[in-house]
Amino acid sequence: MQSQTLGWLLLAPTLLILAVFGLTPFLYVLVVSFFDWNSFAADPTMRFSGLSNYRHLVFDKGFLMALWNTFKFGVFAVVSQIVLGYFLAQLFMKDFPLKGFFRTIHTLPLMIAPVAVGATWRLMTVPGLGPIPYYLNQWFGYEFLISRFAGQAFMTAVIMDIWHWTPLVTLTLLAALSSMPKEPFEQAQIDGANRYQTFWYVTLPMLKPAILSALFIRLMDAMRTVDEIWMLTGGGPGSATRFIGLYIWRIVFPKTDYGYGSAMSLITLYLTIVLCWLLYAGLVARRDLRKPE
Amino acid sequence: MSGLKRMMLGALAAGLMAGVTPAKADFWADAGKEFSGVTIRGISESTPPSNYVKNVLGPAFTKATGINVEFEATSWDQMYDKAIKDMEANTGIYDFVYIEQDAVYGYLSRDFLVDLTKFIAENPKLKAPDYDPANFTTFANYFKGKDGDLFGVPMEAFIKVYLYRKDLFEDPAVKAAFKAKYNRDLAPAKNHAEYTEIADFFTQWGKDKGIELWGSTVQANTGHPASWYEYVESVAPTFGVYNWGIDPANNFAATVEHGGKMNSPEAKAALQFWLDLLKNAPPESTASTWDEVAATFAAGRAAQGLVYGENAAWIATDDSKSKVVGKVGVALPPVEPGVMEAAEAGTGYIGYYDGGAFGIPHSSKNKGAAALFLEYIAQPSVQADWAVAGSRITLQSTYDDPKVKAQDAKTDGYYTLMRDQGKLFAGAPAYPFHNQLREAVAPIFWQAISGELSASDALDQMATTAEAELTKLGYRK
Repeated sequence: MQSQTLGWLLLAPTLLILAVFGLTPFLYVLVVSFFDWNSFAADPTMRFSGLSNYRHLVFDKGFLMALWNTFKFGVFAVVSQIVLGYFLAQLFMKDFPLKGFFRTIHTLPLMIAPVAVGATWRLMTVPGLGPIPYYLNQWFGYEFLISRFAGQAFMTAVIMDIWHWTPLVTLTLLAALSSMPKEPFEQAQIDGANRYQTFWYVTLPMLKPAILSALFIRLMDAMRTVDEIWMLTGGGPGSATRFIGLYIWRIVFPKTDYGYGSAMSLITLYLTIVLCWLLYAGLVARRDLRKPE
Repeated sequence: MSGLKRMMLGALAAGLMAGVTPAKADFWADAGKEFSGVTIRGISESTPPSNYVKNVLGPAFTKATGINVEFEATSWDQMYDKAIKDMEANTGIYDFVYIEQDAVYGYLSRDFLVDLTKFIAENPKLKAPDYDPANFTTFANYFKGKDGDLFGVPMEAFIKVYLYRKDLFEDPAVKAAFKAKYNRDLAPAKNHAEYTEIADFFTQWGKDKGIELWGSTVQANTGHPASWYEYVESVAPTFGVYNWGIDPANNFAATVEHGGKMNSPEAKAALQFWLDLLKNAPPESTASTWDEVAATFAAGRAAQGLVYGENAAWIATDDSKSKVVGKVGVALPPVEPGVMEAAEAGTGYIGYYDGGAFGIPHSSKNKGAAALFLEYIAQPSVQADWAVAGSRITLQSTYDDPKVKAQDAKTDGYYTLMRDQGKLFAGAPAYPFHNQLREAVAPIFWQAISGELSASDALDQMATTAEAELTKLGYRK
C-alpha cells in the first residue's frame, strides 16, 4: 500500500505536466472546434456553430489536397528512409577504414534544427542562384526550378526529408542489428538458407519491432512537418508542397480562423492515429491473429 | 581661494551652463529620469528603415534618456504573428509595435492601440518640444482614427517605384538596337505594351551578349503573400482595378456579377500581363518576395522593375551591396490609358504608397517610456540621416534637408518624385480583414503563377472565394 502511494507520488509531477500541457490544450482545442471564431471577423466573439467546422472540412478542397500531399510525402519519404536506413545500418555493421568518421558524418543532419535544414536546402536550390540548379543546368542543361515546377518542388521536399531523417532510422536499425543473437543466423546457415531466405525469415522478423518503431515515429513526424517546408518552398509552387501542418498554420495564424483550424487539427490527429493503427493492424496484429493456427 | 568664493563660482558656472544648454536637450534627460532603468521592447519587420532604428536611433535614445530599447527586427510574417498574438493575449511583451499601413484598420477595429494624441495630451510632461504632428506628411492620415487622433507615429513611407537601368537605357548601342527593332526611342515605359517590349528586348539582349540580364523583375513568389501584394497593389491599379477589385460601398462585392471588379476584363488583362512577364524575368522571380526583387535589381540581373522605395537608396548608392550604383533611374509605373488621369483627379491611383508607423499597444506596461521613444524618432533632427539610409520620409521638412537633396541627386530624383507625385499613389484599402481575405484567395493566385490555373480561371475563383470569405467573416451580408 505504502509502495503504491509512493509510486503515485513519484508519478504525480509527470501526470500534472501531462494534464497541464497535454490534456488541457487538447480539451481547449476540442471546445474551440465547435465554435465559429475569427478575431478579425465583423463579430470577433466566439459563436457556437456545432459541427459546421467539421462539415466544411469535408468539402474543403484545400484541406483535402493538403492531406493528399502529406500522405504522398509521408509514403515517399518514410519508405525511402526505412530502405536506405536498413542498407546503411548493414553497411555500418561491417568493418571498413574510417568507419567511425563516416558514422559521425552520417549522423550530423540529425543535430541540425529543421528550420536550418530548410534554410540550407533553400539556399542550395534557390532558382537562378543556388548551386544545384546552376550545375544541373551547366552540366545537363536541366532546368531545375522548384519555385515554378510542382513535381520538382515536391521531390526536393522528399529528398530533403530523407537527407535529414534517414540517420535516425539507420541508428535505430543499427542498434537492433547489433543486439541480435548470432544463433538464429548460424542455424539458418546450417539449414542451408540463402541470403534472401536468411533476410526474409530471420533478419526481418527480428528487426520488425525496430522497423515499426522507426516507421511510426517517422510517419507521425512526416504528418506534422512544417518548418522545413516553410523554409524551402513556403508551401508552393501553387499547392504542390502545401502539407497539412502548413495549411493548418495558415488557417490558425495569418487567417486567425481559430475554430476551423482547431477542427482541422483534431481531424488530422485522428487521421494520424487511424493511419498508425491501420499500419499496426496490418503489420503486427494480423500476424498475431495467425498464431493459434 | 576661499570656500565661499569657490561656492559662488560654482553656482555661477552652473547657472551659466543651465542658461546656455538648449531646453530640448534637457527635455530628454528630464523626461527619461522618471523611467530610468526601464527597458522598452519593440518589434518590426527587418527593413532598411527599421534596421536604422535598431542600430542608430534606439541606442541614441538610450543615451539621451537612460531608457533601454530592445528592438526586434524580424521577418514580415513573424512580425505580424508575434505582435498580434501579444496584443490579443494582452501579455504586454511589446511596448511598441510596427503597424504596416494595411494592418492599421484591423488593429483599430480590434482596439489594440493607444490613442497617441490623447495620451500625450493627458501627459503634458511627456510632450517633447520638437514633436509636431502637423509636420507629418499626409501619410500620417492613414494612422488616424475616426476623430482624427493619431494611433501610430509614421516611421517609414515610400512609393513602389519603377526602377530602370539608366546606364542601359542611355547606352548608344542599346538605343540603336532598340530603335532598329521597335522603330521608337528607348525610354522608360509609359504603358504596359511598352514595358513588355522593353522586357522582351533586354531579355534577348542578355541572351545575345551572354550576360545574366533579364527584362524585368517580378515579385512572383509561389508560396508567399508578396506576389499577391504585387498584383493587387502595384499591377491591378495600373489597369484601373482598385481596392483589390472589391467594392466596399456595394456590400463588398468582388465578382463582376455582383458589381465587383476582381474578375473583370481589366483585372484579367492585368494578371495576364504580369504572368507574361515571367518569361522575361530572372529564374529566381518565382521565389522572390520584396527583398529578393530588390536584391535582383541590385545585382544587375534585371533592366527594369517595380521595387519598393525603401530599397531605392541603397540600390542606387551603396556599392558594398549593389552592383548598379550610379546606374539607376526612377520613373512612374506604366499605366493603361485613362488611369493616370483618374489618379490625377483623385479617383484612382497608379501604385502603392507603402510604409508603417510605430504604435503602442494597450497591453504595453511602459506606455510613457514608449511614447517618449516614438516622439524621439519623430524629431526633425533625426530625419535626414534616416531618410538617406532608408529612402523613407515621414516629415514634410525632411525634403528640404541638404543631405536628402544630395541623396536625391544620387537616386535620380527618387525623393522629389515621392514628394511631387506621391499623391498619385495610395495605401492599401481600409479593410480590417486584410490577412483573412488574402489567405483565402492567395493560394488560388499562386496556382496561376505555377501554371495550374489560367489567369481568367484563377480570378474567377478568387472573386467567388473572396465573397464567400467576406460572407463568413460577416462583412458581406
